[in-house]
Amino acid sequence: MKKIVSFFTLLLLGLSLVASAQAQDGSVKGKITDPSSNPLESVTISIKGKAGKAVVTNARGEFEIKAKSGDVILISSVGFKSEEVKVNNVNAKINVTLKEAVNQMDEVIVTAGGIKTKRKEIGTTGTIIKADNLVAGKAVNIAGGLQGKVAGLQINATNGGVNPSFRIVLRGQRSLTGNNQALIVLDNVIVPSEVLGNLNPEDVADVNVLNGAGAAALYGSSASNGAIIVTTKKGKKGTNAVTVSQTMMAEHAAFFPKFQMKFGSGGGAYGYNDPFAYYENQSYGPAFDGTMRVLGAPLEDGSQDSTCYCATSGHSDFWETGMTKQTDFSVSGGDDNSTFYMAGQYADITGTTPGDKYNRTTFRLNGTRKIGNKINVSYNTNYTQNRYDITTATGSVYDNMLNMPNNVQVTRYKDYINNKFATFNDFYNPWYVNPYWQAAAYRSGVRNDYLVANFEIKYSPIKGLDLVARQGLTTRNASNKDFNAAYKYTAYRKTTESFGKSDVTANVSDGSSYSTNLLSDIYSQYQTKYKDFTANVIAGGQFRQDQAQSIGVSGAGLVVPNLFNVANGVGTPGASESNSLVRQFGFYADARFGYKGYAFLHATGRRDWVSILDPEHNTFFYPAVDLSFIASDAIAAIKNSKTINYLKVRAGWSKVGQANLGAYALKPTFGSTAYGFPYGTLPGYTVGNSLVSNSLKPEITSGYEFGFDMNLFKDKVTSSVTYFSTITDDQTVSTAVSTTTGFTAMTTNTGQTYSKGIEATLHVTPIDQPNGLRVTVGGNYTYLDNKVNFISSALPRLALATYGDGTGAYAVAGQTFPMIMGFDYKRDADGRVIVNSVTGIPTKSDTISYLGGANPVHKLGLDGSVEYKKFRLSITLEYRGGYSAYQSMGSNLDWSGTSWRTAIYDRKSFIFPNSSYWDGTKYVANTAISIGNGNGNNGYWTDGINRGTSTNYMTSGDFWKVREVALSYDLPTSVIGNKIFKGVTVSVQGRNLFVFMAKDNYYSDPEYSDAGSGSNGMGLTGMQSPPSRFYGASIKFKF
Amino acid sequence: MSMLSKGLVNHKIFNMKKINAILFAGLALMAVSCKKYLDVNTNPNSATSTTPELILPQALVGTANNLNGFNSYGAQLGGYAANAGGYGGFGTSISYNFTSADQIGRWSATYDNLEDYQYILNFTKGQPVYSYFAGVAQIMRVIGFQLLVDAYNDVPYTDALKGSDNLTPTYTDGKTIYKSLATELDSAIAKINVGAAFPGVTPLGAADVVFAGNMTKWKQLANTIKLRLIVRGKASGVAFANTTFSADGFLTTDALINPAFKRDNGRQNPKWNTWAYSYTGGNATLSWIPTRFIVTFYNGTKVIDPIRGAAMYYQYPSVATNRLGNEVSGTMPSCPSGGPWYPSTARVGASAGNASGALKGPSAGYPLMTAAEAYFLRAEAAVVGITTEVAATMFTSGITSAFNYTLLKEDGTLVTPVAAAVTQYSTDNQTNPFVNFALNTTTAQKVEAIITQKYIAMNYVNSEEGWNEYRRTGYPTIVWGTNAASDITTFASVVSESTAADKLPTRIVYPSSEGQYNGTNMPKGISPFTSKIFWAK
Repeated sequence: MKKIVSFFTLLLLGLSLVASAQAQDGSVKGKITDPSSNPLESVTISIKGKAGKAVVTNARGEFEIKAKSGDVILISSVGFKSEEVKVNNVNAKINVTLKEAVNQMDEVIVTAGGIKTKRKEIGTTGTIIKADNLVAGKAVNIAGGLQGKVAGLQINATNGGVNPSFRIVLRGQRSLTGNNQALIVLDNVIVPSEVLGNLNPEDVADVNVLNGAGAAALYGSSASNGAIIVTTKKGKKGTNAVTVSQTMMAEHAAFFPKFQMKFGSGGGAYGYNDPFAYYENQSYGPAFDGTMRVLGAPLEDGSQDSTCYCATSGHSDFWETGMTKQTDFSVSGGDDNSTFYMAGQYADITGTTPGDKYNRTTFRLNGTRKIGNKINVSYNTNYTQNRYDITTATGSVYDNMLNMPNNVQVTRYKDYINNKFATFNDFYNPWYVNPYWQAAAYRSGVRNDYLVANFEIKYSPIKGLDLVARQGLTTRNASNKDFNAAYKYTAYRKTTESFGKSDVTANVSDGSSYSTNLLSDIYSQYQTKYKDFTANVIAGGQFRQDQAQSIGVSGAGLVVPNLFNVANGVGTPGASESNSLVRQFGFYADARFGYKGYAFLHATGRRDWVSILDPEHNTFFYPAVDLSFIASDAIAAIKNSKTINYLKVRAGWSKVGQANLGAYALKPTFGSTAYGFPYGTLPGYTVGNSLVSNSLKPEITSGYEFGFDMNLFKDKVTSSVTYFSTITDDQTVSTAVSTTTGFTAMTTNTGQTYSKGIEATLHVTPIDQPNGLRVTVGGNYTYLDNKVNFISSALPRLALATYGDGTGAYAVAGQTFPMIMGFDYKRDADGRVIVNSVTGIPTKSDTISYLGGANPVHKLGLDGSVEYKKFRLSITLEYRGGYSAYQSMGSNLDWSGTSWRTAIYDRKSFIFPNSSYWDGTKYVANTAISIGNGNGNNGYWTDGINRGTSTNYMTSGDFWKVREVALSYDLPTSVIGNKIFKGVTVSVQGRNLFVFMAKDNYYSDPEYSDAGSGSNGMGLTGMQSPPSRFYGASIKFKF
Repeated sequence: MSMLSKGLVNHKIFNMKKINAILFAGLALMAVSCKKYLDVNTNPNSATSTTPELILPQALVGTANNLNGFNSYGAQLGGYAANAGGYGGFGTSISYNFTSADQIGRWSATYDNLEDYQYILNFTKGQPVYSYFAGVAQIMRVIGFQLLVDAYNDVPYTDALKGSDNLTPTYTDGKTIYKSLATELDSAIAKINVGAAFPGVTPLGAADVVFAGNMTKWKQLANTIKLRLIVRGKASGVAFANTTFSADGFLTTDALINPAFKRDNGRQNPKWNTWAYSYTGGNATLSWIPTRFIVTFYNGTKVIDPIRGAAMYYQYPSVATNRLGNEVSGTMPSCPSGGPWYPSTARVGASAGNASGALKGPSAGYPLMTAAEAYFLRAEAAVVGITTEVAATMFTSGITSAFNYTLLKEDGTLVTPVAAAVTQYSTDNQTNPFVNFALNTTTAQKVEAIITQKYIAMNYVNSEEGWNEYRRTGYPTIVWGTNAASDITTFASVVSESTAADKLPTRIVYPSSEGQYNGTNMPKGISPFTSKIFWAK
């Protein structure tokens, strides 16, 4: 504590006074606006060759300057391209719309801690995405709008559905089993990442992505994963604007597994001696012959369904056309003392899974207010509520549906109420229920209400000194009700055919939770100048508290039908409770020194105290330093270059600690509800399954980065290249251990990972004509080498996410992080698959081996835009490559016999390709021993060897996606008039319009993660609904 | 923190000294309250300490649940259950070509349960006041490790259950473990005796959900488990340190685990919950039915026993049966609602229960060890010379106890008087050496009769013991064949991939988790067909 106190004192003692002022004069009048027709304040207006006569525009964008006919007026403003206008007539008004500059070196941007800094002063890499770019594709979640647009940023939509989850990772994964997702900061306040999905993208002014820990170090221990800083819109002085817009987007399933189209119903168990089975879910029957065949067992009334025994597209037709409707409005305005921005959005979404619905309502109120001359107050308030009405059985519905033979047209069973062949009771397949019924019977209703607000007071007692206090609040109040309806079979169905029918009992579970995150900040900032030197010194403190509780109750065997209430069950209702309280203190100092406006040194230091670690290890200090050098200003040779008009060289180093575990993780626990305990008054406790090492410490990520930003040919070419390298030590690892220890998991500090790579962006504007035609093309590229250096001698590898047989994503010493491991065939020295010399059947390896890295080594985002007068066309493409995915649905598809690969040998006997057998002395190539039964069940395709060999379902993860295409058109005044509307913009846009997977991937989207968005075990796909394409249109009115 | 910010914002006059003073005061306040503010890491969700009194009852019920898993495993491998019509995908359950993904619960649940007993042993070390708890924990630890050895042979034992002190325990060979387990039982009995002599010893009280605090019965159980170790291990060359038994004698009543099981959420007898009905009244498992082989011990093919047949099975003698692995359409009956092991004709789940047989009802106790098993062990021990008791008497007591267990209903009443039923049984099978012990002359014949009776007694009671004894002795005798006639001569799966003469597997293999986390120590090259448990024939 002493050190901090003295730092504070020193800082405050170092304060001194500096002041400056400006003057004005003139006779030519005019108005300056931005591309959205908003007036621009503080634009510098000068006469070319007469430097002393400059004036600035007022809040309404107006100016008046003394000039004479023939003078050239120079208009310049930070962030915009300078314009020159010749004065022809002194009395004429000069109205100019400035274009946004590409080289925004003097642009003031919000960086860590809400501190505003000029872009050129920053020695670390970052990317700013402006509102227009973010919402071009009309993604409901802004994470979707960021995909493919930022170097070093990987955003995976880890599932489909009405509100997909996104995993957002910057510069690869650092923590082995802890959190690796980027920190989300909304209006200078750290918020849980779920807030991103509950934000109205239309409210966002810009998103600043700070790729590295160094840039974000001021945020404290959460910063090691980089940060995404979202700033929402504010009202503008002198402009009152009202906008209303409406968007309609359709959603279609866009990519399906590849099916065999030759064989229909039948199976080994029932079909081997009887090739066609009318009730079979497996497709191991005879080849399609186009005849009419019965389907399903006879009904009690004697009728029996029948259908053409031929291939249909049922599997793809199951998915419906989803519809997203977004209605927006916003009102903003401002005067000399205050601004305000108010906006609302209602988004209503139906998904591709039958019956899935989601809606979201957001409301925002942002404002600023000057009180006297020295106090500025600002506030941002956002209220969001979302409601889900979705099935809980997406995976099993999908599995169930994929299990249907291709002669069964899935959509025939949609009307499970009126169509007697589609009812629960009489569905053709006795083993799987009607997927439409299942989707309707297993439901989840979820409500989430979010309030995200912050309040800031800035007191500027003297020029250069700001004292800032800020209070942020994020609170989520949620509840859910999950239930499934009951169904009883008729006695006829239970006793006819040998199907072992079992009634479905109804169950319900209710949950309720809240979480409240408080973040208090206070800091002082002092800026001063001495001769060629500038200084900006900040000292501050932060207090953070995250509190949460969730309670769940459940009832089973509901008595009264369709009364989904926990009190309607039999037996003791289930109950659970979980609480969490985490606190953190941090004190920090930040100093930036400039020399002659072209060299900047920036250093930060922060010390944190956290409640979740033992007092012995609960505090840690982390420093960061970076340098920025504007070579194009400092070095005459470059300054005078005709080619290079901007060159910044930068370098940074940082070290950040992260306490990567939850609350209460230091002590092993005992369970009290195992095996039905308590029994009446008899309690019983069990030793928990997790071990905890004695002295858990924070993880330390240290790294450096260097690079340059260079613009050529008067900003026609802009580029940025960064090399980064980080190492994370003392990983807080929760790992599975041998159950023979008496435990199944252990939390300990061990291991080291590294990630290094290159981030590059390049944009070229080959055409920028005075008539308004402007073409920009470019993109970003990321090379990422992300590996595990070591874990520990006792734990050479860690399971991150695995399936029952051990196949899954692992962290392995010396390997790409994560590494997919699983079973291969047993192979001889030449790599040939060893088969049994009699049966021709291969064998599965005894242990799991490395099957492929799941980290995309290469990521490429391409974007292009064409602007011509009132038209604007933009497109974003993304490529990922150099990695693998395990497609777990493959094994299910092989079981059902619908998969393409099960028919590659026409269900006939075959010789296993590239195989060998042991002839008693050596392995010889197998050219004659064939697998006898090339069918299912008793045959090869459904057996444990085929389905258990993970390599059969490994595919390349490479893909190309057309992420966004958007075309907008501003209707001319001649059409809309200028009385009611200030502007009307119509646009059409599409997202994920095309997906091109690797040739061997005929299963699913490798972006998906079966382990969920929170898991580091990427690279495993499951039964998520197929990836979708979205397309639609919007209209926006400005008043 | 909020206090500090308030001070700064409300301060009207900019004065360095004042600001400094406020800062100092604020920071000093913070330094004091900092520690208090951060001291919020006490777990409000789960207990972080406990006592043997709280662990023991849960551990014992955990053993019941673990034994239930072993019963299913024994029923499937040991010929008591076969696949039912209407289901597919039995995979290795009928091919026997086990992989590391099969039966993983046997391994993990046993070690998980053992850790609870180990916790009690660690906690009570050096505390004679807890001698009873320590003794019981040690007996239960032996039961757990015997289950493991009988399933896997070599398993982590000496290095096991040490938590973070040994994350990759080495494997100890089955024989060595058997020897050590017998010594552990001597030690357990000694602990109980220390407790009996220790004033103020903590009684087991309500925590003893097996014998309600009767320490003599615990010692009898220890002796009987020791007898099981010796009977099974001695002939295979285990050099037991001490083959005598304490004067407390052997188990003469059924050792049942019952914490007051009842029809409620998670509180049903685990076996009932697995095979009959869930507490909501829904069907439990419908994919398994009795084998055609096991029914021959009731229907007169091998033994005439209509009383126990009817007490065991639904609609006996026309109970649905199948040959394991038979999936031929039309030849495999489906499983009735409530399952075939619930003999009552009342097939409504919400009111089912109070039946005889192996399941009885949702509130029945779970057999830790039956008196029948104890008597049959004593009979065999007498035959092979481990003890000097009279084999025939033990054999008869075994049959009587087995009838008693089967005929008992959930409410403790009998469906048929035991004595009359046993008399009927003797009369019906007068010439059958499986029943009339006097007809057996050689040791082999006597052992066959004892093991065959035990096989019947263990049917869905402790099926794993039937399977263990088959592997050790080869009884009941089976004859392989694939035609319908052989459905009653063997219980081996008709689609067996086994290379053994009896077409049965000899064991399950180590679970995938061991390969993943303890791969260096795990024995390699284990075959489900040839890698025998040390005592196996």
